[in-house]
Amino acid sequence: MEIITNIINLFGLETKLFIAQIINFAILLFILKKFLYKPIAKIFEERQAKIKQGLEDAQNAHKTLLDANNQKADILKTARINADKILNNTKVSSEKMKQQSLEDAKKQATEIIDNAKKQAQDEFDKISKQVGLMSVDLSKKIVSKVLSEIFTEEDKSIILSKAVDKIENGSYENTTN
Amino acid sequence: MLAPSILFNIGSFPVTNTLITTLVIDLIIVAFVVAFNVSMSLYPKGIQNILEVVYEYFYNSTKDVSNKVKVIYPWVITFFLFIVIANLLGQFPGFESIRFITSSGENVPLFRTATSDLNVTIAFAVISIFMCHFYSIKYTGIKSYISRFITFKMFPIFMFVGFLEFIGEFTKVISLSCRLFGNLFAGESVMSTVSGMCAFGLPLPFMCLELMVAVIQAIVFAMLTMAFMSIMIEKH
Repeated sequence: MEIITNIINLFGLETKLFIAQIINFAILLFILKKFLYKPIAKIFEERQAKIKQGLEDAQNAHKTLLDANNQKADILKTARINADKILNNTKVSSEKMKQQSLEDAKKQATEIIDNAKKQAQDEFDKISKQVGLMSVDLSKKIVSKVLSEIFTEEDKSIILSKAVDKIENGSYENTTN
Repeated sequence: MLAPSILFNIGSFPVTNTLITTLVIDLIIVAFVVAFNVSMSLYPKGIQNILEVVYEYFYNSTKDVSNKVKVIYPWVITFFLFIVIANLLGQFPGFESIRFITSSGENVPLFRTATSDLNVTIAFAVISIFMCHFYSIKYTGIKSYISRFITFKMFPIFMFVGFLEFIGEFTKVISLSCRLFGNLFAGESVMSTVSGMCAFGLPLPFMCLELMVAVIQAIVFAMLTMAFMSIMIEKH
């Protein structure tokens, strides 16, 4: 018993101090639990939730990006097909238009040539008629001048009328030919 | 001197230098808590980083050994924080050098490492072991708890094992308290002796050693508490 008392005195063991330390620790534990551990746990939970949300968002964004890329590829493919189709159609229609305009031009040229020929023929006929009339008139004048010196007035008139008739008939025949 | 020095008495209550240091430690911890609550943010910085590291380390360690992590970890972290601050504070200037004249005219240090007082370490060991037993009864039931110490299976072998277990609970208190007290008191004595021999340069390697001891002993106490609690909470 004496040894225990000596040890207690040597180490300064005191019940009051022992209880004080226990109370001190209990108060400290209460403060730390309420004002340190709980807030830290809450922060950890919030951070974990935020990281989880962030990862989910990143995954969703990645998925959306992949979808968008696929969509983009599809749209580009469709656009390329459509563009090829339009290009082919354009080529065909332009070829058609070219052909059509060539045909039209040929037709127009033929029409113009025909019209020109007709006009030229008409002009030629008109001039020929005029030349005929002029030659008759000129012949009348020449014959009357030549005959006035050889024949009498009566003969002249008969010959003249005959000649005129002949010329008229001949010129008529030429004109009709 | 093994016993803490009594500075003065409040009524019949003796106020020792280790008790004064305990109050300083309380103030430091409360200051940490206040600083944490003021600057608490989802993006940690400063003191929040340190506290989060300590919390996460002990929380995860407890999670590895027990499924009752939420019950055990507050005790473990509180023991660690108190002991590590108490041990590290002993290396600060002013300990031993700031003196106090008692009413009896004795010249004693005003501050002394709290864990170099056996009253403190025994109090912590008793709290640790008492809570182990309390949680054992709470989570495994009284029958399972008693069967740890008294069992008639394979009589008398397990009866003897149970007796040893019972004795072991007392030795746990002694080992926990004396380990911490011994390490810190020895360190304090060595520092005091070395500083007395040569105040400049020579104490430096011992100070480094003491810093290591301070952290290691705090971790040992906290880890042992964690191990004892997790063992006692498991069904026998």
